Amino acid sequence: METINLTSIKKEFTVAAAQETAFKVFTEEMDLWWPRTHHIGSSEMTGIVVEPFANGRWYSKHADGTEADNGYVITYQPYDLFVLAWQINADFKCDPTLVTEVVTEFIPEGPNLTRVKFEHKDLHKLGSGRKVVASMDEGWGMIMDLYKKQAEQ
Amino acid sequence: MSASSTAFNALGDPTRRAIFGKLRDRPLAVVDIADGLPVSRPAVSQHLKVLKEAKLISLRTHGNKNIYELNREGILAMRDYLDQFWDDALANFKLLAENTETENNKHPNK
Repeated sequence: METINLTSIKKEFTVAAAQETAFKVFTEEMDLWWPRTHHIGSSEMTGIVVEPFANGRWYSKHADGTEADNGYVITYQPYDLFVLAWQINADFKCDPTLVTEVVTEFIPEGPNLTRVKFEHKDLHKLGSGRKVVASMDEGWGMIMDLYKKQAEQ
Repeated sequence: MSASSTAFNALGDPTRRAIFGKLRDRPLAVVDIADGLPVSRPAVSQHLKVLKEAKLISLRTHGNKNIYELNREGILAMRDYLDQFWDDALANFKLLAENTETENNKHPNK
């Protein structure tokens, strides 16, 4: 059974900017809007990088010179669609076997107005994908099972 | 530390996961929780304290017994963590995109 409401996060809003601007800021300038407090690196975060093509890396850079992968680019389609694979698991580590999609659509509504449809999907994969569960933190899997139970009530 | 990361860390221990797993089925008294676990009663109490502080479980008294049960509010905090994160990040993005557009329009040849 699909449990969309509890397993995906959706946001929709308009931005007073052209579609091209919105797309470029979201992708090329992620470094300027990503909250510096949110990273999984070993020291203070100094930047975040999105390589602008399919299968490009998505990672943060840190004061001690290290890099920490967040995931990768699934779709890079200027200026209307950008899909990231979010691979950060329950231990706040990048797990290459885990893929949850972060889908952002940019829909032009005027020369200086863009509707942004954002969704962090597939959170249910964290709990119901057998292979994924087997390879990742059990605690998170149990939590997501609980979400499923609650959603299905 | 946020409620969610506290909860993540609380479940990083196998005994605590076992306790959490038991409480998934039904509320239990400490003696029933400790039953079958390969650790001492004081250790069980310590694990319960950590889970309670992470808001994964809660305590109520029934007669003279302490009963532990899952704390759904705390569990939903896990999802809320990501939800809140994206709210903050996307608000930053919106502001930056709009400022960038304003600058672009001031300097159209840029």
